[in-house]
Amino acid sequence: MTTRRRFLAAAPALFALSQVRPAVAADPDSAAAFVDQLLRELLAIANGSQTAAEKRGALAGVVEARVDLDAVARFCLGRFWRTATPQQQADYTQLFRRVLIKNISEKVGEYQGVTYTLGRAVKREGDIAVASVLNRPGNAPNKVDWVVEAEGAPKVIDVIAEGTSLRLTQRSDYSAYLARNGNNVQALIDALKQQATAG
Amino acid sequence: MRAPFRTALLILPLMATMLLGACATAPDASDAEAVADFKATNDPLEPLNRAVYEINDGIDVVILRPLALAYRAVVPDPARQGVRNVLDNLAAPVVLANDMMQGKPKRAGDTLMRLVINSTLGVAGLFDVATGMGYPQHSSDFGMTLAVWGLFDGGPYLMLPLFGPSNPRDAAGRGADMALDPFTWIGQGSTVKALGYARSGSDAVDTRSRYIDEVDKLKAQALDPYATLRSLHRQNRKATIDEVIADDRGTAAKRR
Repeated sequence: MTTRRRFLAAAPALFALSQVRPAVAADPDSAAAFVDQLLRELLAIANGSQTAAEKRGALAGVVEARVDLDAVARFCLGRFWRTATPQQQADYTQLFRRVLIKNISEKVGEYQGVTYTLGRAVKREGDIAVASVLNRPGNAPNKVDWVVEAEGAPKVIDVIAEGTSLRLTQRSDYSAYLARNGNNVQALIDALKQQATAG
Repeated sequence: MRAPFRTALLILPLMATMLLGACATAPDASDAEAVADFKATNDPLEPLNRAVYEINDGIDVVILRPLALAYRAVVPDPARQGVRNVLDNLAAPVVLANDMMQGKPKRAGDTLMRLVINSTLGVAGLFDVATGMGYPQHSSDFGMTLAVWGLFDGGPYLMLPLFGPSNPRDAAGRGADMALDPFTWIGQGSTVKALGYARSGSDAVDTRSRYIDEVDKLKAQALDPYATLRSLHRQNRKATIDEVIADDRGTAAKRR
């Protein structure tokens, strides 16, 4: 009786546990499935019948959910992350997220009619790179690699288009801006504030 | 052919003057991370490069971009594709020579077949028939060849007047490619010269017309467009070269 009661009491917890995805490292196959799913979501939005504003909103939601925005933000600030005050780190991260989502969602119109093929998924420096080729009507095919974090739930950490890493390019931009503004993180935050509110 | 040299002669003294005191200031040696960043950027001539970038950008804003916009608006898509095909076909001999010097038989074979097929079936290069027959287009240049040989790494960043982002290796490669080009040595007189200008001009306008939106976006979104372009160019160039080096189709390495 007691055994049974104890089991019954534990059942909901066991059930809940079975729903939680194990926090093991993602393997290339699951990373490829994740990218496949992500591309489906993005293209479903781009090719959908919603208004442009609704599409931008939906796209922002996907980016929020599927991209490790905080980690990307930290990477893009490079060595200045540690010299920034906690307040600056918080301000910067919040603005970075806004600007990135804005820049991506503005492009939603360009993805109309795009088709893709997935390539190989390989481990790369602790992450997993999933190759893809995007075909835009009337354009040469684009090679795009999606770099997915191997630790924890899969999230995009970088996008490499035709050999150019988006986060590396962004970091160069910020570090050059900082170098020309006395390595003052506040100057960067102010510039991002302008970008976030412009347009 | 003489005109580019004359332009170079005009520009050289200007560049020499600008070089005086044009070196980028290295960061404080005690800041190891800043020094590492400075080295990774590898742009010791940054002030000069930025000045050239501004000039190039000015020319682009006033002349090249408007021409490219008009070209894209006025000339229908199939005609523009035809222009691109002809330009690619004219460039094929130089691409072929470099494919061969790089020791890449599959790539050289693709280029040779393209040259033969598109010059004949493709009506003097107007139509790209070869791609559909399994001979896709790729580019190649002598800077790439030098990299494949492993003799030179790129070296510091260099912003060339008119030509844009480069480095000493690729800039030297440009000269070698000009010397390799059969159209440099065949014929003379004003007609040949005019055709040469027409080719360079249409190449510049057509190429620019394919990047209007990308460049607009870059200039709108980057806090420092010069540095962003530098990073993009370097990464893209490295990826292109790495891909050629890794291409062992048809080589002894593959058969082993």
